[in-house]
Amino acid sequence: MSGILAQFDTLGATKTAIERLRAEGHSDLDVYSPFPTQELEEALGIVSSPVRRWALIGGITGFATAMALTGLTAIAYPLVTQGKPILSWPAYFVIMFEMTILFTGLFGFLGVLHHARKPGRLPAQYRKEFSVDRYGVYVEAAAAAEQSGIESLLRDQGAVEAEVIR
Amino acid sequence: MATAEIEVPTEGLPSLADANRDISRPISTPYKRFWLLLGICAVLIAAAGVAWTIQIRDGMGRTGINNPVNWGVYIVTFVFWVGIAHSGTLISAVLYLVRSGWRTTINRTAEAMTIFAVMTAGLFPLIHLGRVWYFYYLVPYPSTRLLWPNFRSPLVWDMFAIGTYFTISLVFWYLGLIPDLAVLRDKFTGIKKKLYGTFALGWTGSVRDWAHYRRLYLYLAGIATPLVLSVHSVVSWDFAMGVVPGWHSTIFAPYFVAGAIFSGIAMVITITIPLRWAFGLEKYITKYHFDNMSKLLLFTSLIVGYAYGMEYFLAWFSADPIEMESFRWRGTGFYAGPFWIMVFCNVVVPMSLWFKKTRHSLKALFVISVFVNIGMWYERFVIIVTSIAHEFDPSAWGVYTPSLTELTIMVGSFAWFFFWFLLFAKTLPVISIAEVKEHLAHEHEHGGH
Repeated sequence: MSGILAQFDTLGATKTAIERLRAEGHSDLDVYSPFPTQELEEALGIVSSPVRRWALIGGITGFATAMALTGLTAIAYPLVTQGKPILSWPAYFVIMFEMTILFTGLFGFLGVLHHARKPGRLPAQYRKEFSVDRYGVYVEAAAAAEQSGIESLLRDQGAVEAEVIR
Repeated sequence: MATAEIEVPTEGLPSLADANRDISRPISTPYKRFWLLLGICAVLIAAAGVAWTIQIRDGMGRTGINNPVNWGVYIVTFVFWVGIAHSGTLISAVLYLVRSGWRTTINRTAEAMTIFAVMTAGLFPLIHLGRVWYFYYLVPYPSTRLLWPNFRSPLVWDMFAIGTYFTISLVFWYLGLIPDLAVLRDKFTGIKKKLYGTFALGWTGSVRDWAHYRRLYLYLAGIATPLVLSVHSVVSWDFAMGVVPGWHSTIFAPYFVAGAIFSGIAMVITITIPLRWAFGLEKYITKYHFDNMSKLLLFTSLIVGYAYGMEYFLAWFSADPIEMESFRWRGTGFYAGPFWIMVFCNVVVPMSLWFKKTRHSLKALFVISVFVNIGMWYERFVIIVTSIAHEFDPSAWGVYTPSLTELTIMVGSFAWFFFWFLLFAKTLPVISIAEVKEHLAHEHEHGGH
């Protein structure tokens, strides 16, 4: 596993570098940014995140769990209170609403952890500057000839630093 | 040409590296005053702890609550803190959804406030419970007696609402913190690096990870918005579901939500003015932010004032003598003092915010926000206590005065809240670094102004 890591100091240069690399057939890029940015996501061709499925499944699970909890416990111990029917859905809906939200948030968070592989170790190509003001582009390339080609391409695009990671 | 786009910091605007340094400065700077304030809070918390211990030993006779007023300062303070919690979510979630850029520098503080306020509020039902060790009766678990909580009860709804609110607020806050924890991990060495690194979960700022992050952030904002409306609605139903004159009203949910946002914004202002000064964050939290917050304060003050008027109108319009007597007594009876303090603090004082001069004076704003905090505590006192003190049957009327135990615990709750807040302000970035960078990078690249 070796490759080339380049550091950029503007968003624009990073974006064009990604576009050039992708045009030349390097699709497996690791790009680092100090803040969330839609422009780089678009440059990498990311349109959505599977986290949305996690959130949806969480929401449905929460709603169903609360429905079962309120309904089944009322049936298991049928005690009339407040002159309301045993299955008082309007009252139980409050619980169902809250649990839907709770499970949506928690499942979504688990989804982020799962897909971002967190918690995890920092990869070899990570640099401290990525949490300050630099953008990083890492291209995997094993052959030396390929590496120097990528390196000169990245330097042409305005990389302030480029190095080989082994 | 892309290469020509070298980032020249626009004049006056901090660079991205400045944002890292300025915002994380308080973490590495020792402050004597910090330890002093923390010490004062600890002493007050200890006093409240002693008061609570005595109450647990001797029973609820230590408090002023008795028939007919069974809900006193504890429930008042509970509703007060739940209300304070609300503006955190409003600022972080609602303003995120409507793309209001001015939330960026205050959302972290407001979210932290939400969490600590819910933590404070959550103590009060337990303190009010008397026999606190029976708290687990509220939790749905398969007991050997096959008994389950009464899910038709607003008190059980409340437990679910507050529990969900706390958990979701915590997830929202933590998710936003992860990139900033990575900043601190990279900045420090030794034990600090290890600690921040553990909680940063190995965050690298990979664009793929940011995509998941942004998606969940949007969803959390989306679900937190109805959640925040539901939580104070459920709290209001603790009252409105009862047939007590002064409580049994359909306007309670929106009335409470508006009041909650009003008091929460006031608390954000009360906290951010000294915080900005103490940590030298004038470049990030500007007059623009305070101007916007004061407009929101003015707007919610108008809603709250309208609700006060509407309660009286409905009491008169109902033509119900008991309802009318309840509201007559509220404004002129034993609790006329708290009632008029409430009106003065929440309706009269904020009217000065119509003037730009007031909105731009931080001193005036600080004083007004403290007035609102006091007024909103009194509002809950007026709603809760005056209603049950003066119900249907004149022979069952009575008044309530808080005891020293209750007041000590109430003061202790403020200390508890500020204790956690101070710890937060000293150990975590009080402004979201990643979001400030997003904003700054945009300003730099598009010729900021």
